[in-house]
Amino acid sequence: MSFFEMRHVIVQFGGLCAVCDFSIALSAGQLVGLIGPNGAGKTTVFNTITGFITPDEGDIFWQGENIRAYPAHRVTASGIARTFQNIRLFADMTVLENVMVSFHYSIQSDFLHAMVGSPKYRRVEAEIREKSRRYLYELGLGHLSSEKAATLAYGQQRRLEIARALATGPKLLLLDEPAAGMNPIETIELAALIRLIRDKYGVTVFLIEHDMKFVMGLCERIKVLDYGKSIAEGTPTEIQKDIKVIKAYLGSGYYAAG
Amino acid sequence: MTNTIFLQQLVNGVSVGSLYALVAIGYTMVYGILRLINFAHGDLLMVAAYAAIFGMGIFSNSWIAFPLAIIITGCIGILLDRTAYKPLRNAPRISLLISAIGASFLLENLFLVIFGGVPKPFPRPDFFASVIDIGALRIPVLTIYAPIITILLFLGLLYIVYRTKAGKAMRAASRDFETTRLMGINLDRIIALTFLLGSCLAAAGGIMWAMKYPQVNPFMGIFPGIKAFVAAVLGGIGNITGALVGGFLLGLGEIMIVALMPELAQYRDALAFVILILVLLFRPRGIMGETIVE
Amino acid sequence: MSSDFQEQSGAVQVRGGLTHRQKTLLNVAALLCCLGILALFSRYGSEYHVRILNNMAIFITLAVSYNLVNGVCGILHLGPNAFVAIGAYTSALLTLSPSEKQINFIINDLIWPLSIVQVPFALSLVAAGIMAALFAFIISFPVFRVRGDYLAIVTFGFGEVVRVLCNAAQSITNGPLGLKNLEPYTNLWWSWGIAILTIVSITKLINSSYGRAMKAIREDETAARAMGIDPFRQLLLAFLISAFFSGIAGGLLAHLITTISPTLFMFTLTFNLLIIIVVGGLGSTTGAVIGAILFAWGGEALRIVENPMDIGIITIPGIPGMRMVVFSLILMLVIIFAGHGIFGRNEFSWEMLARICLRGGKRVGSP
Repeated sequence: MSFFEMRHVIVQFGGLCAVCDFSIALSAGQLVGLIGPNGAGKTTVFNTITGFITPDEGDIFWQGENIRAYPAHRVTASGIARTFQNIRLFADMTVLENVMVSFHYSIQSDFLHAMVGSPKYRRVEAEIREKSRRYLYELGLGHLSSEKAATLAYGQQRRLEIARALATGPKLLLLDEPAAGMNPIETIELAALIRLIRDKYGVTVFLIEHDMKFVMGLCERIKVLDYGKSIAEGTPTEIQKDIKVIKAYLGSGYYAAG
Repeated sequence: MTNTIFLQQLVNGVSVGSLYALVAIGYTMVYGILRLINFAHGDLLMVAAYAAIFGMGIFSNSWIAFPLAIIITGCIGILLDRTAYKPLRNAPRISLLISAIGASFLLENLFLVIFGGVPKPFPRPDFFASVIDIGALRIPVLTIYAPIITILLFLGLLYIVYRTKAGKAMRAASRDFETTRLMGINLDRIIALTFLLGSCLAAAGGIMWAMKYPQVNPFMGIFPGIKAFVAAVLGGIGNITGALVGGFLLGLGEIMIVALMPELAQYRDALAFVILILVLLFRPRGIMGETIVE
Repeated sequence: MSSDFQEQSGAVQVRGGLTHRQKTLLNVAALLCCLGILALFSRYGSEYHVRILNNMAIFITLAVSYNLVNGVCGILHLGPNAFVAIGAYTSALLTLSPSEKQINFIINDLIWPLSIVQVPFALSLVAAGIMAALFAFIISFPVFRVRGDYLAIVTFGFGEVVRVLCNAAQSITNGPLGLKNLEPYTNLWWSWGIAILTIVSITKLINSSYGRAMKAIREDETAARAMGIDPFRQLLLAFLISAFFSGIAGGLLAHLITTISPTLFMFTLTFNLLIIIVVGGLGSTTGAVIGAILFAWGGEALRIVENPMDIGIITIPGIPGMRMVVFSLILMLVIIFAGHGIFGRNEFSWEMLARICLRGGKRVGSP
């Protein structure tokens, strides 16, 4: 049994096949990229894994369990976290609060303790606050903890999303276009950060990205998706040479941005 | 229950249903474009009834007074959008809804202040007042005319929506608001047209409602309004034909259930909500509409 | 500012100069101050003032618990009138003496266990809260399947259904006649005691992890789900707590006016609560309190427009409906031109008070 595996997953939108017979297996600690032309169904794969879409057919095995029908919050609780392509922060809450939300599903105290402010609950709260601060410092956002999330710069917002996802305590982290809209320097920093996260927290990272230089430099394995179908899988060097991949990209008029 | 009473109720149900349908179409049209439940829509029914009373007072001719009342109500519909909804196009949903509720209360109480709370009798023109006998059935002609007028108005609406340029723009806007804006279509004008058409239909419904139940008061629009909304959801919100079908079904269902089980009569007003909840639970897209549960 | 408030519940050291202990001291002082004022009023206040103060406290309880659902969770729930009705009827039926019940129920007899029970007021209030929460629990399953406009109309529907039931279920509610001759148990201590309890416990909840989860749902439900939050559970929690306190407030209301009937619990009640929390600032408990105070006071002041007015020579006749015209205009103007209300989403804190005093009280937390 592999660490994480999708077997023959099919997702249809009104007769249209968004993901067709998609299979993939990840081993623990890997850095894996998912690439493909626009509209290939990459985000749909992520939405399917994280429980926002239930696949029409196929199974998703995660740590020995079939999670295909889990609702989103249960998938997260089982150890899979994600970020979003179009940043989705809790805009009117502070940076610190954004991260603190991630601990909610795991708190061991009931709401009555919270309502009377019992010492037991205050300990829980202090602990959450402390842990959240640590994640923020780790991602270089410590000095911003009392700012409203909406006021952060773009790159900071992306990093806050990662901090928030990391705070849910995942073993598998899905990043949906983490480098989108970043300048080259930020992109290099991000690659270093993702490696650090993988090494320090021991999470497996599965990411979608259009920036080929970023993907090829960072990922150990790459999966290529086109029209909902997997057309290639391998190491960056294998993928770069793969004739089907080149066709898919050139055929759709897409050039890898550098 | 005898066949005669059954038939009588059947006809009555169709007639009430046609009025729900007229109001429901307005809900569905506005929802289709703005994704907003126009809480004040039912009150336009009351506005039309008052306008008609005053028109009759001045012209004492229903052929002038009623169309005039319909046009006035249509204009008030546009005014409603301009004052209560337009400033909030980019605001959070909850603000828009609260504004709609405020507008509804404002209309009701403004009319209460102006016209007082005492119900006014509605002058029923002779044309609609007679009763015809079919065998043992005694049916007021209004009961027959209401569905016919509804169908005629509906066909007129279909013509506008499917055969004219403005109608095409309306359909485009309900598909994709932003893209339509980018295509250079004047959305404000399309929205105004939507409110105008919806309000005119509600006004026609309101005048017939007032002839059927000739007690006009500032709060008379609330329940027909809510039921019409339920009809729109039942038919599938955003779908004009669905609203028509939903209206007929709701009217018929409501009258028939009470006819078959008279002990439920006092719960009649709650019945619509039970239907609404059942639809949302088991068939959220209604009979022929888009899905609303994410 | 809202973060100041949160710091208080967690860490000891607080930004802005005040320690946790100092704040607690200030809070206790403020509370004692309130109690002193209440004692003065319940001793020397006129009947009129006492009534307004009681109304105020009940509106505060209702508005703060309504704001938990509408302001903090960000959904438009339109059925709090149902919660209040259930609380009022529950509590009234439990405190009326069996003989009084017989006098009340002249058309239909009250059904059996209710016809003989009589419990103390305090217990009846708890029962009122529990019954309202039970009702909230039952309706939550259809209600939280939908969002936005649909949730609004479904909750509105349940509010109406409860009113219809109050009229129809005569052997429980006595129908349109209502219940009369309740003991006037509600006094300033009861009403303000419950109001303060509500404010404190709901504020603590909002500032806890539960409150954060609720706000996260308001801000972005999809993201909240991705962070492991089950929206149904959080919304249900807010809904139940809100219903519980609204039910208690209903019990207080019943024993304040001593006569209840279905017309008391029409949609207008919900509308009034909506104005309160919108004017105060959706999502702010402080706003809800201030809004309720303004409403109880302003509503009383506005009564004059509906009563005949006698200015020396001429008498201006009262205009029924004028009050609601003013209220709906206020609601629309605030939502269109000042969507954040008085407080926005900010909360009262001692630091804020200090800042205002130092600055000469010019600005009250703009968002």
